[in-house]
Amino acid sequence: MAFDINFDWTGSISEVTLGATKAQGGTRSVSYTIGRDTTLPFLSPDSGTPSPLIAFEICDYPVYWSPLIRKYCGDLCDHVDQWATAAEKTYGADMVRLHLTSTKQRNFSDIASVGKTVESVLSATSLPLIIEGSNEPKIDSEVFQKCGESAQGERLLLGTAEASRYRSIAAAALAYNHSVIAQSPIDINLAKQLNILLKEIGVQRDHIVIDPYTGALGYGFEYSYSAMERIRFSALKGDTDLAMPMICSSADTLTIKEVREADEKGQDEMAIKWEFYTGFAAAVAGSEIICVRHPETIPMLKAAFASLRNGAKSAGVP
Amino acid sequence: MALKALDIYKLLPKKNCKECGDPTCLTFAMKLAGGKADVDLCPYLDDEAKSVLGATTRPPIRLVKVGVGERSFAVGEEFVLYRHEKTFYHPPGIIFKVLDTQTEEEIAAVVKRVRDESFTRVGTDLRFNGIAIENVSGSAELFAKAVGTVENNADLPPILMAKSTEALTAALVHCGSYRPLIHAATKENYKDMCALAKQHGCPLVIRSSSLDDLVSLAKDCNAGGVKNLVLDLAPASLRDFIIGSTTVRQLAITRAVPDLGYPVFLDTTVTGLEDAALTLGIVKYASVIVTNPLSPASTKAALTLRQNIYTDPQKPIQMNPGLYRIGSPGKDAPVLMTVNFSLTFFTLEGYLESSRIPCFMLIVDTEGLSVLTAVAAGKLSETLVRDSIKKFAVEEEVSHRKLIIPGYASPLSGRIEEATGWKVLVGPRDAAEIGEYLHEEWKQ
Repeated sequence: MAFDINFDWTGSISEVTLGATKAQGGTRSVSYTIGRDTTLPFLSPDSGTPSPLIAFEICDYPVYWSPLIRKYCGDLCDHVDQWATAAEKTYGADMVRLHLTSTKQRNFSDIASVGKTVESVLSATSLPLIIEGSNEPKIDSEVFQKCGESAQGERLLLGTAEASRYRSIAAAALAYNHSVIAQSPIDINLAKQLNILLKEIGVQRDHIVIDPYTGALGYGFEYSYSAMERIRFSALKGDTDLAMPMICSSADTLTIKEVREADEKGQDEMAIKWEFYTGFAAAVAGSEIICVRHPETIPMLKAAFASLRNGAKSAGVP
Repeated sequence: MALKALDIYKLLPKKNCKECGDPTCLTFAMKLAGGKADVDLCPYLDDEAKSVLGATTRPPIRLVKVGVGERSFAVGEEFVLYRHEKTFYHPPGIIFKVLDTQTEEEIAAVVKRVRDESFTRVGTDLRFNGIAIENVSGSAELFAKAVGTVENNADLPPILMAKSTEALTAALVHCGSYRPLIHAATKENYKDMCALAKQHGCPLVIRSSSLDDLVSLAKDCNAGGVKNLVLDLAPASLRDFIIGSTTVRQLAITRAVPDLGYPVFLDTTVTGLEDAALTLGIVKYASVIVTNPLSPASTKAALTLRQNIYTDPQKPIQMNPGLYRIGSPGKDAPVLMTVNFSLTFFTLEGYLESSRIPCFMLIVDTEGLSVLTAVAAGKLSETLVRDSIKKFAVEEEVSHRKLIIPGYASPLSGRIEEATGWKVLVGPRDAAEIGEYLHEEWKQ
């Protein structure tokens, strides 16, 4: 007797392509196509997708970044291009997520510098990029336009669209063939609504990645975990407006009490473990891009994903 | 096919004798229908009624108790694949492993950690659950000695991990009456293991990487009189585990394969990826998880994850309404009003603490709803804010009359001003921006 579980799913997750190689009109050394799965995460024999992908987050104005990471990464934080190179060569990330924190400065208006930053990061790493644009509605349009243009052909993932502001980012994505992160506040219905809004202005399913919003472990993570499971479940049940891959970024992790109040010696480990437990559980719930800020979380996640995806044994992993 | 409560009631003796613990046969029938009671609790059922009822009313996953006394724990009796469908009921026991080749001091130190260590989150004490002792020495004598050391230091639920019945017999002398979980019966040794478990009334782990074997082991052990079973899927990788445990859970809760209706065991120490295996076990249906003693960081992360996943999604965790202090706020410190949804509270509290501006948080009772939902549902109103200011004597704490409200509550700002006589300042919608907001707006 063979024991198979058959859920009678009818839907599948739509494919989204991140990054473009030379042959595809870009300059990346690799291009990932995620999505495609037809059952719960990690249950299919081999979906052939490279996910979950690990994205290392960096920024161009580190004043707003966690002091813990600034200390760990040192001078790299002041040179966003070198930081991006390290993400690929030293830390072993699959993607780089660039936060344009410089645009958060009061009365920021130097849009040309945004283009330069994007270009310098593109030449510093050959990995596909996620770019987080402005935080300020007034300059959204110009910032996203500049990002989109500077990385034309590279199949970026642009963030972050929300129900209250998605037009500028969608316009930039449509004009330059990039994809969009669609974020909703831990609510499957709001996630669906935003996807429909994006669809209505022309952003195709295969250009959307859902961010259900990740609350830090101990600070609402259970809501995010269940939102992810429900989105995946609805997608498999055939709801095409929710059948997009998901991204998890637990950005609050580095500011929570447990990490802040850990003694200096244990602070890095606390941050790494907190990022790991959150990111790994989110991947099991269906997230296909896991964002981290601590470099040491990356090898842990990699080894765990290998064992989960291929049944790889953990030989050689400390 | 599940029976309705009334169909079940027809098969019961209708004596209302209360011997099952329920006041009437009807309430017992309702419990059976919900999978919340065991047919065996009724002493007057004939065999035929039992066999009809047994298969359809017993909880789809058997409740198995490990240990005795205050620290004993029960696992199983789960009903769903996803926590959002209902909830997960019985959090996995997380067990520290010691080896019988370790010194007495080393073993005692681990036991004392499990005995004493705990930390409080959202009003609940989080702790580890027991001690597993593994017979790696090959000596029955050393194994029994190690078990004795564990028992001398604490009354914790023990798991006896040994291949030889000789070692187990020696160890059971020390803890046989404390309901240790015995690990593990396999195709080769199940007869002897079963006899031991039956003799001491212990729960028993059955182990095989084949579900076919587990089904036949479960049948054989049941026939041998051991009903409290736990399944070890003997996974060689995390992939093996997620496929195996999901399969077992799905086949058990749908009652497709009742012989797989038992809690699942996971030994993370053999994977080489302990944090990953622990995370996976917690979210994907492991009920007894054995691990090496964890570092302080892994301890907090694992216990917090377990608490998160086993929180009932239908009951948001609420904070007590009241006036909370961040730092030591003075008479001129800002007052920030928000709702008593725990997630809102903790998120805001975190950002306020890192802003380093002493202030008051005025938490009003929205029955655990978030700001957005509370505004939409009318649970957050100007009268609630006015009454809360009074009830918690905010006017005695500060000399000013300015109240910062969440961005999502902005539709209420005018009405709150009218009702309270306070000046209302609309804060940001995202708690992450509160530090910046206070630095820029409050200082003026």
